[in-house]
Amino acid sequence: MSRKLLAQTILVGFITAILSTGCHRGGGAGANPSASGSESSVPGIGAGGESGVGARPLVGAEGLPEHGQFPAVLFDYDSARIRPSEESKLEAVAAYLKANPGKLVVEGHCDERGTAEYNRALGERRALAARDELVKLGVDTGRMSTISYGRERPADTGHDETAWAKNRRCEFVVVNQ
Amino acid sequence: MKKSWKMLIRVATGAVRVTVVGALLGSGVFRADAQVEVVKGKHSFGVSGFTGDAAIAGQVTDVLKNDLRLSGYFSLAPVSSAEYVQSGSVRGDHNGIVVECMVMQQATKKVALSKAYQGSAQDLRRVVHKLSDDIVQTLSGQRGIAQTKIAFVWSHNGAKELAVMDYDGYNVHQLTYDRSISVRPRWSPDGRKIVYTSYKNVFPDVLEVDLYTGQRRRLASYPGLNTGAVFSPDGLSIALTLSKDGNPELYTMNAQGSDLRRLTHTRAGESSPTWSPDGQAIAYVSDESGVPQIWQINKDGGSPLRLTVSPSYNTEPDWSHPPANSDMKPMLAVTSRVGGKFQVGVYQSGSGVVTAVAADGADNADPSWAPDGRHLVFTKTQHWRSQLYLLDVVTSEQVQLPVIEGGASEPAWGP
Repeated sequence: MSRKLLAQTILVGFITAILSTGCHRGGGAGANPSASGSESSVPGIGAGGESGVGARPLVGAEGLPEHGQFPAVLFDYDSARIRPSEESKLEAVAAYLKANPGKLVVEGHCDERGTAEYNRALGERRALAARDELVKLGVDTGRMSTISYGRERPADTGHDETAWAKNRRCEFVVVNQ
Repeated sequence: MKKSWKMLIRVATGAVRVTVVGALLGSGVFRADAQVEVVKGKHSFGVSGFTGDAAIAGQVTDVLKNDLRLSGYFSLAPVSSAEYVQSGSVRGDHNGIVVECMVMQQATKKVALSKAYQGSAQDLRRVVHKLSDDIVQTLSGQRGIAQTKIAFVWSHNGAKELAVMDYDGYNVHQLTYDRSISVRPRWSPDGRKIVYTSYKNVFPDVLEVDLYTGQRRRLASYPGLNTGAVFSPDGLSIALTLSKDGNPELYTMNAQGSDLRRLTHTRAGESSPTWSPDGQAIAYVSDESGVPQIWQINKDGGSPLRLTVSPSYNTEPDWSHPPANSDMKPMLAVTSRVGGKFQVGVYQSGSGVVTAVAADGADNADPSWAPDGRHLVFTKTQHWRSQLYLLDVVTSEQVQLPVIEGGASEPAWGP
C-alpha cells in the first residue's frame, strides 16, 4: 500500500470518526467511549479482515479534507512553545474558522530524533499548544481535536536539519460537516 | 494469514511433553535436581551433538548452541576441554521428534541432567528451547529465557504492524493487519494479552489483543492522546498516558479500561510509564525540569520524585522484574541522549547517574527487559534503519537478531 493511499485511508477513517461520533473527541469531554462496551468485541486478528470497527464504519472517499490549506506552524527542537514568528499563521487559521463552518483537526508532529513514545507526547503537546492559542484567538475549543503522530509522518523524509526543521510542526485540517 | 495465526495460537497454548528418562542411566546416577551452583563467570560447555537422523540432529545442535550462547552462562568449548559435556540422540518420524540429552560434568563424571523431549516436527525449535532452559536452570540455578517471546513494531509497506517472535528472532508472526500505525506493545504478566497504541480509527487509542482468541478490544479512546499502556505486575491495573485534560499526564485504570485515576498534575509532558517490581510505584518520563528525565510516583499518586540527574536527556524507562531467587537485582533501563547519539543505560539509584550499557556508533533505544532481569532487547538504528539486538548486561555482549525486512522497533520482551 502506497504512503498516499495509506494516508487517504487514514483520512477517510478520520472523517468517519468525526461524523459518526459527533464531537466526542473535541473539547474536554471526559467520558471514555470504550468503557461503555460498545466496542468490546471487534473482529479478531486471524478472522478479522479489514471490515473496520463497528462504531465508526468507513465512508466513501468523497470530500477528503486537504492538508496544506494553512501553512504548518513550526517548532524548535524538543519544544512545544509557539514561536512569535508563527503567531500570524495561527491568526489566519482562527480567522478562517470564525468565518466558516466546520471542525478543525490539529496534528502535532516531531522530527525523527528522539524516542518514539516521547515524541508521541511531544507531538500532542505541540498540537495542544496550537489549539490553546486558537482558543485565545476566539475559536470554540469544542470545534477542535488534536492528534499526535509523533515522528511517524514527516513532511520531509530527509535526514538533515533542513528536513527536521520542516518536520517539527503542527498541521491544520478543516473537516466540513 | 489465517494459517500463521493458527500457528501462533498453537505455539502459545501447546506444551512440550517432557519425559524424565531415569532408566537411561539407571536410577543410581539419575538426578532430577542436580547440584545448583551460582554462576559468576561462564561455564565452558562442549556440545558433542546428537546421534540419529542427521538432518534433525544438525538442526537440534544449531538451535541448542545458539540458545546456550545467548543464555550468557556458557562459553562453547571443544568437548575435550569443556567443564560440561553434552551428548544425546534424536529420532523422528511422522508422529514427531524425540530428543534425548545428557549433560555431564567431566571432572567428576557426574550426570547433571538427563531428559527426553518430545514434540511435533514443527516444534523442533521449541523442544530444544525447553532443553536449553533446563540446562540453564540445572547448571546455574537461574531461569532461562529460551522459551520467551518478543513483540515488536514491524515497519511494513508504509504501515506499522505488530508482530511476535521467539526470543531468538525466529518464528515471526504478524499480529495486526490494519495498514495503519500500531505501536508500543506491552505484555500482560500471564503472556496472554498485549496492549498497544493503534491509529486504526485515526486517533491514537489503546487497544488490547488476546493472543489466544484473536479478540481485540478498545481500552481507552478519550479525546487526544491515548498511549503508553502497561500492565501492573499483578495484571489488574494499567498505567497509561492521556491528554484528555489538556496535557499529556499519567493515569491508571483497571484492566477493563474503567476506574480511571489521574496521577500527575504538571504543565510538562508525562509519558512512558513502567511499574516497579512490587507494583507500588511507577517510573516515567517528564520534562518538568526542562529536559526529559525519569521520575517516579506512587501508584496512587502523590508527590513525584525525580530519579535521573545525568546525562541531560533520559527517556523510555523499563523496570526489570527478576524472579525472587535470581542473582539479578531489579534495575531501571533507560534511553539516554549523549553527544547527539542515543544509548541504552541503567539508572544508579545512589547517584542518579545513568551508566551506559549499550553505547556505540549507532543509536540504541527502547530497552525492554527479559523476565530473567539480565537480558535486554533494544532497537539499534544505523543509517536510519532499525533492527533489534539482544544485550546481556552481565557480559555486555550484544547479539543482532535475524534481520526483519523493512525494519523493527519498540520491542517488548514477554513474560
